[in-house]
Amino acid sequence: MTENLLEVKNLHTHFFTENGVIPSVNGVSFSVKKGEVIGIVGESGCGKSVTSLSILQLINKPGKIVEGEIRFHEKDLTTFSEKEIRKIRGNKISMIFQEPLTSLNPVFTIGHQISEAIRLHQDVDKKEAKQRSISLLRKVGMANPERQYHAFPHLLSGGMRQRVMIAMALSCNPELLIADEPTTALDVTIQKQILKLMKNLSNELNTSIILITHDLGVIAEMVDRVVVMYGGEIVEENDVYSLFENPKHPYTKGLLNSTPKIHQLKEKLQSIEGNVPTPDQLPSGCNFQDRCPFAMDKCRELSPNLVASTDGSSVRCWLHQEKEVVNV
Amino acid sequence: MKKYLVKRLLQIIPVLFIISFVVFVLVYMAGDPVALMLPEDASESDREAMRAALGLTDPFYIQYFRFVGDLVQGNFGTSFRYNQAALPLVLERLPATFELAAASMVVATLMAVPLGIYSARKQNSLVDLFITGGSVLGKAMPNFWLGILLILLFAVNIQVFPVSGRGTIVHMILPAITLGTGIAAEMTRLIRSNMLEILNQDYIRTARSKGVSSNILVYKHAFRNSLIPVVTIMGLQVSHLVSGALITESVFSWPGIGLLLVQAVNGRDMAVVQAAVFVIALLVIVVNLITDLIYRLLDPRINYS
Repeated sequence: MTENLLEVKNLHTHFFTENGVIPSVNGVSFSVKKGEVIGIVGESGCGKSVTSLSILQLINKPGKIVEGEIRFHEKDLTTFSEKEIRKIRGNKISMIFQEPLTSLNPVFTIGHQISEAIRLHQDVDKKEAKQRSISLLRKVGMANPERQYHAFPHLLSGGMRQRVMIAMALSCNPELLIADEPTTALDVTIQKQILKLMKNLSNELNTSIILITHDLGVIAEMVDRVVVMYGGEIVEENDVYSLFENPKHPYTKGLLNSTPKIHQLKEKLQSIEGNVPTPDQLPSGCNFQDRCPFAMDKCRELSPNLVASTDGSSVRCWLHQEKEVVNV
Repeated sequence: MKKYLVKRLLQIIPVLFIISFVVFVLVYMAGDPVALMLPEDASESDREAMRAALGLTDPFYIQYFRFVGDLVQGNFGTSFRYNQAALPLVLERLPATFELAAASMVVATLMAVPLGIYSARKQNSLVDLFITGGSVLGKAMPNFWLGILLILLFAVNIQVFPVSGRGTIVHMILPAITLGTGIAAEMTRLIRSNMLEILNQDYIRTARSKGVSSNILVYKHAFRNSLIPVVTIMGLQVSHLVSGALITESVFSWPGIGLLLVQAVNGRDMAVVQAAVFVIALLVIVVNLITDLIYRLLDPRINYS
């Protein structure tokens, strides 16, 4: 078994607002191996993005990591100084964000923005950085990269800008790429291209990817292992085939049932009743109990633990608790 | 770009016509200049003869066309007071006013940029509160009050600066501070609020995720974006600068166009008033045009075609 590149252990990220503490992420643990693609799924507000921003210490005030470790190559990133973490950002671990339209600085050319990332982490002169940027633009499939190097972001389409973001993120051959809903804002056809591009490049460079999305179609296509989040916690983790084949947690089942299937057009599309609770209004007991069709009395009183089974999967649900070994 | 420039320059012509009309009407309504020109014991027939000689008995529109006809030749008439052509009199005062305006803009920028940025970076801190409060105060202080107080403090009580006049750089400091403070206050508040908004933008997060240090983040990625509205305000402040110059130049006896205008109004020297108002209006128009051109340099999204 290959070593873990990144290990998130018991991460708690809370937001200290005027209306009290909002626990956005509550005890999340997962790991990423070298070259592995993992997916984090969940509805909006379940803590996916906060988890990903926490990894690079990009949480803004009033948010703060209050507990937990983020081990990258065995070193805990939460203990790093601002200066040390800057050497990781964009270099060893880089990010792609959801909004390609607003994620590039409007007053600098895309070439300048890619070159800046290169020159921050590599000891090269301007000319060399420019050459590398142009070859990166070519790599991500930009037509006429020499000319596009001088283009301002507003001249490019959303898909093109996301390609620029990918070029920028991959400019220093990172070991880990965190993609936070990279295709949500794009057309379906463009989505497919961007995902393919990410997959090819990660295979080529052996980059691990954390793909954050609420789109199970994207998950099925891209990832090796899936982490399902709900209410700031992980509720289920499994390899992608087993998860789609045999979802254990009622929430995962709900998510899969609410995906349209091409062969069952007549059926009415199912949805999970109710809304995602905001982190400050989580119910007592299991976070999912008030939306769960299988909720028992026990679920309303006690919160279940995340339990790992021997096949490498784990689930946080009383329905699966008794049969298996408790993970401490 | 060239097309845009030509279009904008052509647009100035009708504006100048409107200004010429306003300037003319103001003076037309201001009263009978003959009363001031002749001695008090002049007879009514002498006055009539003078009016006829000056063309003041002609109908309004004839007088206006005559005024415009002279104006396009650069002739605003003769100043009673200086017994010289009015336009050259105004133009020779321009360098002094430019000097003061430039100095106040420098003072304003030197104060506003660091204060605004610092205040935004330390949002809600005590220093931020102090700067924000100070900028309200700076905006609220009238120029003449601040000017007189500065003279009292730094020229009378502690004699480090001259009371008035123009000459060396030292003469410029107090008037520049007087004129620059209000502008600095406005700019500080604007830079602060812009910076706060921009620091929350997605592209700032992107830059941080690349490993950009917080200083470069603020001074390169955010500041350039925050400059666009600041340039707008600086352009608009030029008209403020002119009205401020009237007062500040009077307080400090600064021999610029503002002081000339105030003296001309007091002395009913109408040719000079007309020439000065016209020149000031033209300046404001030109500065606004330059402001629009600077936008383009700052924001590549703006396209003037």
